[in-house]
Amino acid sequence: MNEILLTILAGVPITLLLTAGALVVGVLGGIPLVAARQSRAAILRLPARATIELLRGIPPIVWLFIIFFGLGTYVRLDAMSAAAIGLGLISCAYLAEIYRGGLAAIAKGQWEASAALGMPRTATLTRVIGPQVGRVCIPAAASYAIGLLKDTSVAFTIGVTEILYWANDQSRETSDAFWPFVLAAVVYIVMTIPCAWAARALDASLRKRVAR
Amino acid sequence: MISLWTAIWIVPTLVCNRIQFDPDFPPEVPVSETKHLPGQTDRPSESAGAVRLTSLVKRFGDHVVVNDVSMDVAAGEVVAIIGPSGAGKSTLLRCINLLERPDSGIVDVAGIQFDAATPVSGKDLARLRRHVGMVFQSFNLFPHLTVLRNVALPQERVLGISRTEAEEKAIRLLDRVGLKDKAKQYPGRCSGGQQQRIAIARALALGPQIMLFDEPTSALDPELGLEVLAVMRELAAEGMTMAVVTHEMHFARDVSDHLVVMADGAILEEGDPDRIFTDPEQPRTRQFLRAVLDR
Repeated sequence: MNEILLTILAGVPITLLLTAGALVVGVLGGIPLVAARQSRAAILRLPARATIELLRGIPPIVWLFIIFFGLGTYVRLDAMSAAAIGLGLISCAYLAEIYRGGLAAIAKGQWEASAALGMPRTATLTRVIGPQVGRVCIPAAASYAIGLLKDTSVAFTIGVTEILYWANDQSRETSDAFWPFVLAAVVYIVMTIPCAWAARALDASLRKRVAR
Repeated sequence: MISLWTAIWIVPTLVCNRIQFDPDFPPEVPVSETKHLPGQTDRPSESAGAVRLTSLVKRFGDHVVVNDVSMDVAAGEVVAIIGPSGAGKSTLLRCINLLERPDSGIVDVAGIQFDAATPVSGKDLARLRRHVGMVFQSFNLFPHLTVLRNVALPQERVLGISRTEAEEKAIRLLDRVGLKDKAKQYPGRCSGGQQQRIAIARALALGPQIMLFDEPTSALDPELGLEVLAVMRELAAEGMTMAVVTHEMHFARDVSDHLVVMADGAILEEGDPDRIFTDPEQPRTRQFLRAVLDR
């Protein structure tokens, strides 16, 4: 039992790395995507909407197969990178939508005050609106991140050596189809619950500093 | 993969100018050059610091909110705009700094002229707004910044001065509105009256020639309104050009040099405040004044 657990724990760094990688791609990539999505120019807005729908409308596992097996036939791509790219792109779409909700939540007066003060557009976005949107988005982004942490388990299907990979490995090794997976479940829950607590605490402390 | 990334990252960046998060921000700024009317640059003439609105019309859909209004604010003058709600007072005021773009008419502010028929360049808009400060009913302070940063940040970004210089000036202005000790607080920790005084300091920090007040005390309980009105009285005494939309009849009567009464998108009558308060010409004005004064 101990040995099974230790083997499964070996997958934790990979799971965390994959989650963090995809999240970084999503948090950054979501910004230009929401910018295009909210653009006045249809030439940006429509492709951005299409991209978001496409990324969200196809299951992660299918994306990973397309990238790893499909693109993999043309480009050398290891499983970890393929998973990070796939989950990262999907995260871009989800975070863009979270940002969009955040933008809608910012009081119109913040834009008006910035305009009336004659603040340049970049300063308005980076110093006034952006920081507030960031704060509004924390709860939604945090629950997305927790979902993402769980979703990294699909990377097992393309051979990334994360938690589920080792659980499956141990299941075959020990011919036990129960305990390795239950232990994997415990490992996941031990990681996700504190994340949720932390997000809630962070949100509560930042909530007051946003005008909605 | 590379081309997908290019599409996601580069394209929006390139066309950053087209990005718009809020339908009203920025007010329509078409790309073409602004056509200046003859003799109208930053002329520092006797009308500097003054506002002249000519035949302004503003519609929201089919609804005409401001209907062919012309109005002047002379340099150093305090104009109070009163009238029932829905009269178009705030909209008229917001046309002065082009937060609302009039559908027709001419806005002439601090010697810069804008014709509703001609598109305004971002540069001209910035120039206009440097001359005009605005105070809102809902304060609109930046909640994520300290009081000090609220007053300093616009200076840094608009006037391009250093953080130290901006914060020194911010402290001076906060002192002037009696809130120096709140500098390190966040606006959420301040009362409404304090927030509004901070908003006034923030606007003054940019050295405007004209100050617009859009119902600055309407969101405050009467006692807190007084401290805001006191700051405004001081400002008026110092000779600031002010246009004030207000429901504070005492303020309108005592402080303003010129009173404008609006109803249904038009000016009912205007002139000396004392004269209008004691002997209004229009029955509609009399009806309005009786309603607000007899409560």
